[in-house]
Amino acid sequence: MSHTPPASNREYHRQIADSLADSFLRRTLDKFAVEYRASRDKVFSEVAERELIGRIAEVKDSAAKHIEDLYARFKQEAERRGAVVHRAADAAEACAIIAQIAAENGVKRVVKSKSMTAEEVGLNAHLKKNGIDICETDLGEWIVQLRGEGPSHMVLPAIHLSRDQVADEFEKATGEKQDHEDVQRLVKVARRELKPKFHEADMGLSGANFCIAETGTLAIVTNEGNGRLVNTLPRVHVALAGLDKLVPTIDDALTALQVLPRNATSQRITAYTTFIGGAGPCAKSPTGRKILHIVLLDNGRTKLAADPLFSQVFRCVRCGACANVCPVFRMVGGHRMGHIYVGAIGLVLTYLFHDRKIAKTLCQNCIGCGSCKAVCSGGIDLPALIGEIRARFSREDGAPLPARLASVAMKNRTVFHTLLKFMRFSQRPVAGTDGFVRHLPMALFGKHGFKSLPALAPKSFREQWPTLERRPAQPKMKIALFAGCAQDFVYPQHLKAAMKVFAAAGVEVVFPMTQTCCGLPLSMLGETATAKEVARQNIAAFAGDCECIVTLCASCASHLKHGYVRLLGAEAEAFAAKVIDFSSFVHDKLGRDVLRLQPRPEKVAYHASCHLCRELGVKEAPRELIRRAAEYVPSKEEESCCGFGGTFSAKFPEISAELMRKKLENVTASGATRLVLDCPGCAMQLAGGADRQKLNLRVTHIAELLADALAIGLE
Amino acid sequence: MDTEKFIERAQAVAARVSRAADEEAVAHLIAEDQTRFGAENVGVVRAACGIAETGTCVVITDDEETRLKTMLPEVSVIVLRADDIVPNLADTAAFLRERQSGDRISYTSFITGPSRTADIERVSAIGVHGPLDLHIILLEG
Ligand code: SF4
Ligand code: SF4
Repeated sequence: MSHTPPASNREYHRQIADSLADSFLRRTLDKFAVEYRASRDKVFSEVAERELIGRIAEVKDSAAKHIEDLYARFKQEAERRGAVVHRAADAAEACAIIAQIAAENGVKRVVKSKSMTAEEVGLNAHLKKNGIDICETDLGEWIVQLRGEGPSHMVLPAIHLSRDQVADEFEKATGEKQDHEDVQRLVKVARRELKPKFHEADMGLSGANFCIAETGTLAIVTNEGNGRLVNTLPRVHVALAGLDKLVPTIDDALTALQVLPRNATSQRITAYTTFIGGAGPCAKSPTGRKILHIVLLDNGRTKLAADPLFSQVFRCVRCGACANVCPVFRMVGGHRMGHIYVGAIGLVLTYLFHDRKIAKTLCQNCIGCGSCKAVCSGGIDLPALIGEIRARFSREDGAPLPARLASVAMKNRTVFHTLLKFMRFSQRPVAGTDGFVRHLPMALFGKHGFKSLPALAPKSFREQWPTLERRPAQPKMKIALFAGCAQDFVYPQHLKAAMKVFAAAGVEVVFPMTQTCCGLPLSMLGETATAKEVARQNIAAFAGDCECIVTLCASCASHLKHGYVRLLGAEAEAFAAKVIDFSSFVHDKLGRDVLRLQPRPEKVAYHASCHLCRELGVKEAPRELIRRAAEYVPSKEEESCCGFGGTFSAKFPEISAELMRKKLENVTASGATRLVLDCPGCAMQLAGGADRQKLNLRVTHIAELLADALAIGLE
Repeated sequence: MDTEKFIERAQAVAARVSRAADEEAVAHLIAEDQTRFGAENVGVVRAACGIAETGTCVVITDDEETRLKTMLPEVSVIVLRADDIVPNLADTAAFLRERQSGDRISYTSFITGPSRTADIERVSAIGVHGPLDLHIILLEG
């Protein structure tokens, strides 16, 4: 796997195809994804995870606001302890400052410990150009340096390589035959080869995890022990770090240190955490003191600190967790998911620090599953940042045709719904095109092959509404139903099943006819103005009196509840507060005695839709309902993404298909004959896949399972 | 309580832990290691405190010699008084701040288990650039 950034979309798809065909990479990343989850859960169970993450976010947000004060304090404190602190405006200046320090001190040989910031500025190449020999000493970094590649993961730089490939590289480097099986022996090779380098070097180069302003202290986290050798043995030590590494106090660093190693490698703490407070004694230095330079890099960071949305990236502690849990990373690996930094944050930083053109291609490759946000050490809303980058591209470079058409069509509900009816009556069926039916106008454009696609229903839910029973004799409560395009026009059976459940529980239902698409696809396409307009139409449509606004679509629910408040602020709050997803409504608002179910002799598996389990945090309600309606059989990785992701499955069908295959494999292994879910998008993906693969598996909405299990006879 | 937790957590990251009742017992344990591995392969230092939550030894390594003793020899021995164990990582804040008070220059090492890597196929390997073996001698009473 080479590490050239894609020059075009087409090239990017070629690179993705190579990654998907790399069976070693696939096996490794699959195994990693599963094992990481388990070990992470275990090591976080001992601490107050959300509270610590909240504190990191608070500290870092405040650091971003007071960046100049922190810098001044840090510089003063570090310099009174014998260090020299530099500030580099950009990558070129950072390289020049470090080359200058090297020249002034007659440095010929440099040993380096891990620093993503050095990768960011291209330091190795610059020093090499200046005739300086620079050697990576972190094992993974050394391996990728020998191969002339960049790291494919921020914490595990060589995760894409097999021991066999590593042994090959070591044979070239040492000129000796190497063991191709025994990893322990390969590690010893690195120990032996690199040991003399530490002793010969004139300069040690490191990064820093935290720059503590109150005392001018560097905190550095490592496992291999190379980091401490790098900053101890040579007479000169240069630490390069971004301005975002500044924190006010020792306590702040210690807070973040409770999360960073847990998130990075599932360790409570790394083998070595080092606090360097100034230029201490050094035998090799002519002055008897260490020559210590600290270079703090701006490279766009002060501008970022002032950005209302993107200042969040200051919270990043480079733990790499956002790659570890990302379903796309799992499929394609880090070299396909970021220019220097990889994973979710890599997509964002490629845009902010590196190349807009590369970023434009790479940022499309996010399915929006929210897994990264759920584990991020700083609680960064990564999918929102990635979405905003996409939106900026379409605003600045002009929206692609489908987005513009969607925007025009959906601005006016009557036009939009007429268009849908036209599509149904036209002989060219929607099935066979994209299948992105929840975001229907897109259905006119894409292509697909790995799953069967549903056709539009002969009669939409709104057309059937007048004939449906919706007011029980003695209603216990009154709700309004939000249909969402996909269920209104493709899966009216989901809504009809829900109507049966509501009727059985004595719930009166109103269906405001002027409701329209929730607008999520518009937001995702960057059509913010139309998204706002559509949101206002829906808020007006649901102005009438009702206790809850219930929807059977997890994506709509999350957009109505969170997206509207993001778009419109206070104006949407009363509406948003009433929105509830179907499973939570049935579980939380209707008691067991109100809705009586007769468990069916059926093995039922559950797929937790991304928007439900992460965006809305609804986890137990649907599982509890399944237990009441049938035999619930847990399956592996219930909360991993099905691969639908709205426009994603049209843009990256090759990745979408793999995610779907994995999901169905886990479900079938559970022995279930029915799979239930809470989202028509997931239904489309998984029902289509199950049909295509001819599996003995019914895929239904959870409302359909409950309707089947209604204990009518008991009433 | 903290001592037991410390031992469990240190052993979980592949440290060897011995208990010693007095200085004499400490000296005896060190001599044993020196005989077993060769005196030049054993580096001995004293910890300022320990952290139960993580099984960590906190070592003042301001001077190079002490620092190198924890890095270069294949066997690293750290003597820690059981009374100096604090419950959590966050409890070391005051100690760290004191070490930097005024113009003081310091270098503090939090050491947890022998050096390790998982950089090749995520296989855990002990002993990369630092010690292959970390022996913690807990001095009790
Ligand atoms: S939202 Fe999901 S797909 Fe997108 S970067 Fe985060 S984890 Fe990856
Ligand atoms: S964005 Fe969050 S999860 Fe990703 S590396 Fe940074 S801190 Fe870790």
